[in-house]
Parts: sequence; structure tokens; C-alpha cells
Amino acid sequence: MKFAKKRASTKQEIPTASMPDIVFMLLLFFMVTTTLREVDVMVQFKLPEAEAIQKIENKRLISYIWIGNDGRIQLNDNLVKLEEVREIMYNKRVDLPNVIVSLRIDKNSEMGIVMDIQQELRKADARRVNYSAMLKQ
Amino acid sequence: MVKIKKGGTKTAEIPTSSMADIAFLLLLFFLVATVIDVDTGIGITLPEYQETPDNVVPISQDRMAALLINENGDVLLNKEIISIPQIKDKLISKIESKIDLPSNKKLVVSIKTDRKTNYNLFMQAFDQVKIAYRDVKNNLSMNMFGVEFDDLAEEQQEEIKNKVPEVISFAEPEKIK
Repeated sequence: MKFAKKRASTKQEIPTASMPDIVFMLLLFFMVTTTLREVDVMVQFKLPEAEAIQKIENKRLISYIWIGNDGRIQLNDNLVKLEEVREIMYNKRVDLPNVIVSLRIDKNSEMGIVMDIQQELRKADARRVNYSAMLKQ
Repeated sequence: MVKIKKGGTKTAEIPTSSMADIAFLLLLFFLVATVIDVDTGIGITLPEYQETPDNVVPISQDRMAALLINENGDVLLNKEIISIPQIKDKLISKIESKIDLPSNKKLVVSIKTDRKTNYNLFMQAFDQVKIAYRDVKNNLSMNMFGVEFDDLAEEQQEEIKNKVPEVISFAEPEKIK
């Protein structure tokens, strides 16, 4: 007597028809959440650490000012002098009334330059600032 | 009769087998280009700039918490030498004693530094002030509503913010003589 060989009748394949859909969904998610990095940071800095920090929800409102460990100031794409900060920030504020200025200042800076920047920002009336800090571990 | 074989109706199709590959490629690009790190920091609104600070109202001593940080890293709170981690505890009791007072009697925290003070030190002190306010708010909301401040509805948050307003001022820099 011949025995029929038992075989699983199900196909041994993973259905891949829906894979493009899944991939497209992921793709859309990343496309929507991406904010492409527009600027090269030309100064070196290390942020201070703090505990009571908040996230800034709206990334598109943020305008950055960097102060490096050598005391150079970078605004947008180029290094600027302290006296130029005011005019640039004033124009920014005209374009974007509720701009948030994120100050990314090296933690070994002196307060002198921080206070100078603060005064310039007050004069430019860009008064919403955020002192960037990392979460203390 | 010869049967003429009809060709099966051909359906026009776009080959989609490579679509997944293309989509993966795009996906990879966005994965690599995405900047995930969120911007975190301590936010504050600076006071308006005044050419001549003429309408300065002197603040009574009992609602003032003056923090002074000099270039050596010494901290003075109302003329008393303390260390940075102590700031939080000192401020919490001060803030809590003024919860039920009207808004013109709330605590004003003033932070003043030298030009040569280290920025990191200033941030630590500033952070302590912020932690003090956060803890007071959390305690108050625990007592009033039984949940943490962040979980409250907006009106309730407003209510607590009115009771515990964060008044932090950076002292006007002194003119260099």
C-alpha cells in the first residue's frame, strides 16, 4: 500500500503584498516629522546640564544663537559681532513675531557675554529666550 | 471549421514589484536626514528694554529673594552665604509662605552675576530656582486636585499659576565705570 506523503497544505510564504503600504506609511511619518538641518555650526560648544528643563514644542519658531568656547557668536549661518545681533534679531522678530531665541552657550563661557547678548535681545524686543541645556543624568 | 484561438484579454499593468525598493530607499534617506534630538532648555521671557529705568519701584525686602553669584562661585541669598544645592530648599519655604498672599506680594527672585561668573554656575542656580517653583506647584496641585501639575486641565493649571507666579528677574547689568 502506498502512503501519500503528508504535506502541509499551507503555503510557506510571508505575504509581501502589503509591504509597500507599510513602508510608505513609515516614509510619510518621517517626511512629516523631519526638519532638515539648515545650518552648519561653526563654533564648538558643550551645553550645561539642568534638571527642570522643558521641550520646545514648535521647532519652526526657534532661532538659534550659538556662543562657542572661544567666545565667538554664530547667528544663522555666519559668525557675527555682538553689535550686529540686535539688527538681525529685530528683522527676525518682524518676520516671525513670536520667535523663540534658543541660546546654545558653551558651559565654560563667562556671564559677561551672556548678559551682553541678553541686553541686545531686549533691545531687539525678541524677549522669549530659552537657555539650552541637557537633561542632568 | 477552424477554431480561431482568441488571445486572452490582456490587462495593462504597471510593474509594482520594485515599488517597495524605491519606497525603502526614500525611507532610508529620511531616516538618515531626520534630526531626532529635541531642543530642551530653560525658558524665560526677558523684561522689556528701557532706555532709562525711571519708573523703578523699590521692592520691599520681605518679598525679595536676591541671588548673587560672584566669579569665585560663592552664592549669596539675601546676604547669607549658601551653596547652590541649598537654593531649592530655601526658596521652597519662601514661595510656599506666600501662596495665599495677593499677587503684588508674591516672591520675586532676582539673579545677579558678575561678568566673570561661569555660565554653568549660573545655569545651576537658575535650574535650582526653576526646580523650587516646579516642586511647589506639584505639591500644591497634589493638595488641591490630587494629581501632578502636568496632568491638570488647563484652567486648573492657570489657577495654580496665579497662586504661584514665577517672577524671576535678571538684575540690570551695571554700567562699567
